[in-house]
Amino acid sequence: MAIQLDHVRYAYPEAPEDVVLNISEWSVSDGERVFVHGPSGSGKSTLLNLLSGMLVCREGCVSILGERLDKMSARQRDRFRANQIGYVFQQFNLMPYLNAIENIELAHIFSHRERKRGGVKRAQELLAALNIVPSDWYKPSSRLSIGQQQRVAIARALVNKPALLIADEPTSSLDQENRDNFMSVLMSLATENAITLLFVSHDMSLSRDFGRTDALADVNRSR
Amino acid sequence: MFLRLAIKSLQNRKGSVMMTVVAIGVSIFVLLGIEHIRHQAKKSFASTVSGVDLIVGARTGSLNLLLYSVFRIGAPTNNISWESYQQIISDSNVAWAIPIALGDSHKGYRVMGTNANYFQHFSYGNQKSLKFSEGGGFEGVFGVVLGAEVARQLGYSLGDKLVLAHGVASTSFSLHDDLPFTVVGILEPTGTPVDQTLHVSLQGIEAIHVGWDRGVQLPGKGLTADNVKDQELTPDSITAIMLGLNSRMAIFTVQRRVNQFPEEPLLAILPGVALSELWQMMGLFEMTLRLISLIVLVSAVLGLGAMLLASIRERAQEIRLLRVVGAPPLFLFLLIETEAIVITVFGIVLGVAGLSLCMVLVQEVLSARMGLHLDVLTFTAESLILIGWVLAATFLVAAVPSMSAFNNAKSVVGKALP
Repeated sequence: MAIQLDHVRYAYPEAPEDVVLNISEWSVSDGERVFVHGPSGSGKSTLLNLLSGMLVCREGCVSILGERLDKMSARQRDRFRANQIGYVFQQFNLMPYLNAIENIELAHIFSHRERKRGGVKRAQELLAALNIVPSDWYKPSSRLSIGQQQRVAIARALVNKPALLIADEPTSSLDQENRDNFMSVLMSLATENAITLLFVSHDMSLSRDFGRTDALADVNRSR
Repeated sequence: MFLRLAIKSLQNRKGSVMMTVVAIGVSIFVLLGIEHIRHQAKKSFASTVSGVDLIVGARTGSLNLLLYSVFRIGAPTNNISWESYQQIISDSNVAWAIPIALGDSHKGYRVMGTNANYFQHFSYGNQKSLKFSEGGGFEGVFGVVLGAEVARQLGYSLGDKLVLAHGVASTSFSLHDDLPFTVVGILEPTGTPVDQTLHVSLQGIEAIHVGWDRGVQLPGKGLTADNVKDQELTPDSITAIMLGLNSRMAIFTVQRRVNQFPEEPLLAILPGVALSELWQMMGLFEMTLRLISLIVLVSAVLGLGAMLLASIRERAQEIRLLRVVGAPPLFLFLLIETEAIVITVFGIVLGVAGLSLCMVLVQEVLSARMGLHLDVLTFTAESLILIGWVLAATFLVAAVPSMSAFNNAKSVVGKALP
């Protein structure tokens, strides 16, 4: 299983009575592509932060690729995330003052695969595959268009060859053309690299590309 | 990559970073500047006189005597009569004596009446004696030997004639213009007040004051260049005497004899002891200066801390991004610390560069106006230790924003009530 949640209950330490996430059982198998939708406030960020190990729950078990995130040390979780999980946000996916290559390299240095070697070369391959022209590789990423930035973000997320890619509303700041472009490269790269894809969005029109669609309200029974 | 990230992130916030670098630079400038000048002033003062065992003057404070006889600062309180002078130098312990008569000036530079002993026995620094770069000591009554700075600043050369002024104000209206002096010698630079002094013979001083009473020239009573030679030009009094003794053992004997001199109240001081008294007096002043420079530094470093702390808020998204690509909280702590250190290092470079430039510019002025010789900025062990402390203080203060970043980055462990 790529993702396996069992009897997970989570409340933020400042408000322990307010259980924001209560999932009795939810899983995603290896290589599956799941589209998750839900209104804001449905516990979406909490779920994604739990899956990436940015939050840790003390009740229930969270296992990713067969490993128990809640049993790992903080250091192990950080390393696991660097190596195994790619993550694309809605915005601010790149350090604005670093260029595309540097942003991808930055993600690469925290992984232990290939020990920092070949980071630039892999970055260039990925950028080329994502249709970013070489003249844009060395511009500060704040000077790239939003569409380009989101595609560089895919490269940044995939540089360490993760097994799981989490995309958190990655298309909501894109126009129609850029969105289609983004979706097609994302899908082809996910297929190419046999990556499990968890895609969260409220744009239901995108769900046709996915084999499975879950409503977060059904998964999370906290309210 | 780590350092590149820190530097590019700082470049991205040029405005506030530059202001902070300048603030640190200014405080480093003040801190090291005060440290440097303190050292140099001490060195310069201490090297002004050497080889003189005792300085004798009218009874006054020992500091006052030291200041007016050696540094030409302030005014003598009273004079020593010529008879007393003769009596003191006849002491069998006295090897040599330099009489000093002060009170006149030339274009703001002080004139000192003395005799040939001065050029023979006076020494400065590490027992260096005075050397002539041109000419030699005065033979006749109206010869003048110029200090290096006087000659340079006023553009005099051998054979030039100049007129002394009564009193020590830089603009004097009572000139001894009836009896001009001729430049017969120019001394090599010494880096001491000697450079700012015009030396004439005691006879010359006496000659130009014949016919003067209470600071005013009485008409018709002065000498002319022609009748000078007929006169007996023995001065009535002098300002101070520098003594060299046959044996250092005799210093206290001679000192006591002078201090208990029956004919008039006199004071003999050891230059080294008087100098250390001067340091003691300056000690409080020094401490105050150091304290102020320290406070300036502390406020600059705190400013740096505040700037970084404010930046942590703005950078919440950057921190989240770094976390999601796998940066551990320690990475963020060290990143902010590195940014702080980089800012301080640039501040130090700026401060040191500014100070070096200032030293070069100020050297000239200080040397000309005060006889204070400053070396170019050098790194003493002490100033390196200071820089070390600055970096340590930076690290300590930057720990606050760094911890803030660290805490922002830590995974939040959830607590759900049953």
